[in-house]
Amino acid sequence: MTATAEQTRARYPDESGRLDRDGVRIHWERYGDGDPAILFLPTWSIAPSRIWKAQIPYFARRGRVLVFDPRGNGCSDRPLDPSAYAETAFADDARAVLDATGTGRAVVVGLSLGAQRGLILAARNPERVAGLALLGPALALAPFPPERARAFELFHDERADDEPWAKHNANYWRRDFPGFLEFFFSKAFTEPHSTKQIEDCVGWGLECGVDCLLASEDGPGLGDQAADTAARARCPILVVHGDEDAIAPHAAGAELARLTGGSLVTIAGGGHCPQARDPVLVNLLIRDFVDSLDGENAA
Amino acid sequence: MRGAEQTRALYPDADGVVEREGVRVYWERYGSGSPAYLLLPTWEALHSRTWKCQIPYLARYRTVITFDPRGNGRSDRPRDPALYARREYAGDAVAVLDAAGVDRALVVAWCDLGESLILAAEHPDRVAGLFEIAPAVQLADMQPEPVAYPFDEPLDTDEGWAKENRHYWLRDWRGYTEFFFGECFSEPHSTKPLEDAVGWALETDPETMLLRFRGWNDKVIDRTEATALGDRLSCPGVVIHGTEDRLVEPGRGRAVAETLGWGYVSLEGSGHGPHARDPVRTNLLLRAAGRDATAGPRPAADRRWTRAVTRPKRALYISSPIGLGHAWRDVAIADELRALHPDLQIDWLAQDPVTRVLESRGERIHPASADLASESTHIASESSGHDLHVFQAIRRMDEILVANFMVFHDLVEQEAYDVWIADEGWEIDYFLHENPELKTAAYCWLTDFVGWLPMPDGGEHEAYLTADLNAEMIEHIARFPRIRDRAIFIGSPEDIVSDTFGPGLPAIREWTEEHYDFSGYVIGSLPGPTDREALRAELGYGPDERVCIATVGGSGVGAVLLRRVVDGFDVARRAIPGLRMIAVAGPRIDAAAFPQRDGLEVRPYVHELRRHLAVCDLAVVQGGLATTMELTAARRPFLYFPLGHHFEQRFHVRHRLDRYGAGRCMDFDTASPDAIGAAIAEEIGREVAYRDVETDGAARAAALIAEVL
Repeated sequence: MTATAEQTRARYPDESGRLDRDGVRIHWERYGDGDPAILFLPTWSIAPSRIWKAQIPYFARRGRVLVFDPRGNGCSDRPLDPSAYAETAFADDARAVLDATGTGRAVVVGLSLGAQRGLILAARNPERVAGLALLGPALALAPFPPERARAFELFHDERADDEPWAKHNANYWRRDFPGFLEFFFSKAFTEPHSTKQIEDCVGWGLECGVDCLLASEDGPGLGDQAADTAARARCPILVVHGDEDAIAPHAAGAELARLTGGSLVTIAGGGHCPQARDPVLVNLLIRDFVDSLDGENAA
Repeated sequence: MRGAEQTRALYPDADGVVEREGVRVYWERYGSGSPAYLLLPTWEALHSRTWKCQIPYLARYRTVITFDPRGNGRSDRPRDPALYARREYAGDAVAVLDAAGVDRALVVAWCDLGESLILAAEHPDRVAGLFEIAPAVQLADMQPEPVAYPFDEPLDTDEGWAKENRHYWLRDWRGYTEFFFGECFSEPHSTKPLEDAVGWALETDPETMLLRFRGWNDKVIDRTEATALGDRLSCPGVVIHGTEDRLVEPGRGRAVAETLGWGYVSLEGSGHGPHARDPVRTNLLLRAAGRDATAGPRPAADRRWTRAVTRPKRALYISSPIGLGHAWRDVAIADELRALHPDLQIDWLAQDPVTRVLESRGERIHPASADLASESTHIASESSGHDLHVFQAIRRMDEILVANFMVFHDLVEQEAYDVWIADEGWEIDYFLHENPELKTAAYCWLTDFVGWLPMPDGGEHEAYLTADLNAEMIEHIARFPRIRDRAIFIGSPEDIVSDTFGPGLPAIREWTEEHYDFSGYVIGSLPGPTDREALRAELGYGPDERVCIATVGGSGVGAVLLRRVVDGFDVARRAIPGLRMIAVAGPRIDAAAFPQRDGLEVRPYVHELRRHLAVCDLAVVQGGLATTMELTAARRPFLYFPLGHHFEQRFHVRHRLDRYGAGRCMDFDTASPDAIGAAIAEEIGREVAYRDVETDGAARAAALIAEVL
């Protein structure tokens, strides 16, 4: 279904492959080659590796770019067991992709939930991660707004209220999955004139499918281990966070930067997905971050 | 010689002398921050002022150390040739670092003969990195530099490189340095760097230079020795080298970079001295190298980027501090601009005295303004008596102009503006054309005169210099028409002088009409009543009183004129009984030193002087445009005395006032006190028939700027 509908890419992979991790097949792609290598992690299974389409062509001109589809989307398998969606599983997928492509060390970039798997990867494999650039990190380092907290709490309950975030609910998903996707991505892109970005994401969400996304929602995340894990990730860290992010609070990104001694770039007026909405800025920030790491790290 | 040094953009925080084997070496320290920049001396024909365009910028970020080489500047000129061994310079450098309290430095060398390699190889703990500008040291097999003439033998020619000869040096050292630095600064329009270098070379003498060269075969660091030193280096390095270098071929610099595994920046079209001739680019390369030399992780400051469409519209207004006239007209233009764009936020990059006007109006003065080097102090220091050679004063401000452009650069690198507006901000206009890739906003340029003009007594040389500067400007505009989005002449085409830009160059008026828009003259607004009688009453002037106001501006420049006008008071008062003269001394002239007379009031300060001038019966002023045009607009009779050697007052302003039929021009050199007194008596209260001054100039200028917003 993806291949026929997908729009023309600016650049196609130089190499791709599948690796099998305990029966779950993970699809990865390599673009370009040479140092520095950059691994763009998948985000929530609601979207495939195409979320990095504005980054891949740029960085592939500069070195090796690796992406892989998350469990539950793109060309990777779609397990229905929630335990298959543990954050640790994604982090181990990332390491397996580094191994499969013979990549010793990489700068790792993550969006939203990607921050969780990125921190785990760096904490478990410090020798493999030269630096972490985390965009709109979704980490329990600052309180969610009440309506979001309530939606998590009541996720499996029947909700009769008409609070907008009541759409973030298992029963609502089963009734009107496209409606949920439209709503969710309107919150992910709070910037005006984001129609194309929303359209892309809704399409990608449909590729995941409701059952798969339900399984992923119940997968074990970092939870209150975020601060500890961040402390164990000792590499340089860059946080980029919109101050109008309606999905992951800006305060969490700021706290991550504070905890790790990383640097924080705030996008005034920015939402949750700067890599899609302010791609030029994000590309240059990642470039500068990569360039700031010394030669030994970048290999 | 030292008394003649032009105003620096920054003076050292500390200086001192180190002594090694009886030779005293003078050093300076600026700024703070580690690792420092150590700017090494180049050969002994020059001294540490060579780095004048780098010091003010680098010192904003790090400690900067310079020292004069033995043989020039404030260092000794030992008579023993052995004391000019290359190793001594590395030794001096370490002693200077010790004395200045600097542990480690990024070492910057120009035309290095290997001294910096000795320093880095033998003192690795002191050297964080090397930055070589056009290094002469040989690190690869290369064709020997062709030697056209023997150095020691008498020659039958003085042409070209024949000047590099012992006998010629002793005969005409200046002639040699003019030739040599002409080859060094081979880019067109390099008159000022050339003049500087020749001046510094004349601070030493050929005898000292010959001592330095004596036994050169033993002193020179040859390829074998250089290679051995290079093998010991562990620090990072960068080489920058101009492709048009006539003194050291760029292949040498490239060989240094390749042999040592360093970065190499090729400056296409640059000659041997890019730090003087392309100072902005060199400074930015130095800053980048300084960042790279920082040990350990860099402190990460939080940053903020605002999405484009949500940004408020912002303008950065750069207002020239040379005279207050710019300030008044610029706030008038700013007001009209805000009328067209009510949401426009205007920040000012400005310095005293402009900031006094801005503060009184509650304008936003950008904090970076505090980093600007003072232009008005320099201009005041360049004047004496009733004389200011303003063309030379601006040339001699080159160091301050680079320093202030770098302040502007770092500001706009961090903050986004929709438009930069520069009212005679020469540094902005010049260096944007020299570094066009740094333009990241719309840019509007304003001026009230076009064309540098020579004073007759400057002779052919001054005519050559003004034409050269004009030609460079014309080439800038022709090559980069995109830099000035608007060029606004504050006036009308008829205000432009009938001269040409110089031999073989266009007529100024024709060219300006082609390249500028015209706003008409811009008069700053005056507070208070506009009715003359009401304003006179408010200011304490009787309806039948005859009031003469003599004012010479806020600097000390006008003391001699004011004194002479006061000396003419008795003659004037005899002709005009009851004459009241108010002489405004300003803060820098001692009012108590003037004689006391009935009817004569010498005041240190008059609040809102412009309002007094608007209703006086006669004014006596210098030849500045702003004041004379305000008097013209207010239809007041006035005597004006253009400053000596001030081409703008003597030619451009004079021409404009003649067009308006305004004022009586007097020559300070020939006007006696009695003649001034008689002129006061003749002119006071005279009905004038001036041409009307436009009242819509500010609105027209603002409308032109608003088009790019």
